[in-house]
Amino acid sequence: MNEEEKVIQAADEQASVVEKQGAGEKKDEDLVIAELIQVAGEQGSVEAKQEKIESVALVDDSDRLFRKYKIKDIVFLAIITACTLVTGAIMPLLVNAPVFGIIQLGLGIQFSLFPVIGMMKVRKPFALLLQSVFISIFLVFMFPPMVFIIVCALVAEVITLLIFRSYKSDWACVLAGTLYMPLTIPLLFMYYRCFYTVTGDEKSAVSMFIGSQNVGAVIGITIAVIAVCFIGSVIGMLIARELKKAGKLK
Amino acid sequence: MTFFKYKKTFYPLVAIASALLIMVFGLVMSRKANCAYFLIGAFVWLALFGCWKGLLRALPLFAIIGGAFALISYYTSGKNAQSAIAMLNRFGAVCLAVVPGMSIQAVAMTRNLSQLHTPRAATLGILITLSFVPVLRGEIKRVREAMRTRGAGSILNPKIFYRAFLIPLVTRLVDISDTLALSIETRGFTLGKSKYTVYKREVINVFDVVYILGLIAGVVLAAVL
Repeated sequence: MNEEEKVIQAADEQASVVEKQGAGEKKDEDLVIAELIQVAGEQGSVEAKQEKIESVALVDDSDRLFRKYKIKDIVFLAIITACTLVTGAIMPLLVNAPVFGIIQLGLGIQFSLFPVIGMMKVRKPFALLLQSVFISIFLVFMFPPMVFIIVCALVAEVITLLIFRSYKSDWACVLAGTLYMPLTIPLLFMYYRCFYTVTGDEKSAVSMFIGSQNVGAVIGITIAVIAVCFIGSVIGMLIARELKKAGKLK
Repeated sequence: MTFFKYKKTFYPLVAIASALLIMVFGLVMSRKANCAYFLIGAFVWLALFGCWKGLLRALPLFAIIGGAFALISYYTSGKNAQSAIAMLNRFGAVCLAVVPGMSIQAVAMTRNLSQLHTPRAATLGILITLSFVPVLRGEIKRVREAMRTRGAGSILNPKIFYRAFLIPLVTRLVDISDTLALSIETRGFTLGKSKYTVYKREVINVFDVVYILGLIAGVVLAAVL
């Protein structure tokens, strides 16, 4: 009896399947075709992706703009920052000289020459920013407002990347190095205006700095700072080129 | 118990905060008479907390350069004594702000930053920058000795300075950086997000708290009185 029931049940199921097949034949065909198309598409895209991955793996990553930093990059940037720090140790003396832009004039060469060498070895975005981060912790003890040099580095890098799109060109490094220090002038100007006036002894804090009241003198000093930084950057570029020629700057 | 244990060096972040406090207050309030009293108080306070070696180093610098700038300021401002005192105050603040920094070891700063989960690239860079300065001095000395041995001429000549000093120095730095990077990698240091431990944790101490509170009290008193 049980076996008979099973046979009947199986026959019913078969019949219902046939009925469904008959009724939804066209629908099933459409679904299968759609599935096939989807699978084919996926396979195609997978193949394309695989090809893309393989091609990326084969090609050197030096073409990419944003590349991962390696330990050797960080070490070189830190060492070159130590050079900037040592040569820039006169900063505590300069901060007290009441001449507008004296810090930038005194430190322009050092703060452009060494960063350019660093950027020409580590041709990756934010190399200048990293150098600023490394040096900023020491600038706190020398002259805290100069910590804003991080912002200046970021702005200089953004401007350079907008113009050159990468650091492949030596002149991109020179531009970043040239802009780096002069950008601190407006920041320090704001600092003097905000903080030195707290005593209330003078209306404008900047007035105590020789040359700060005369617009012509301010423009002249700013141009002089840019010129000094440009010279420093070019010297840095020449040194880096010599090192490259000697096979040291890989 | 480590909180009450005596230690010779400051907690690194406390040292940075105190340097900022002294420097900013000194620069802002340099024209006030109270600023000088605050700086004298800070000098004594730092000496009490064991920074007398750093203070002794900073004192001649303050006396010579600060004195020279004060004199210049005195004469350029039409023999105005207040201007000279303001200049001395500024120099005093700068020299005193450097002293807490002298007490921090590079490795302590790195440990402190690592505890605070600062990116590894930043801690490594700061550690190298700080600890590389003596090495750099040695390298400069070597290059200068090499110049003398070869009879390269005066370092004040720009061409000689560039060719015989600057290029050999940077070349040497590149070599050192390659060796150092290799050495760091060999020791298993990575820049990734791999887990790491801090060998010796920096702990804030009761002395750090008393030190920074004393400085803040000095600032408040000097500003209010």
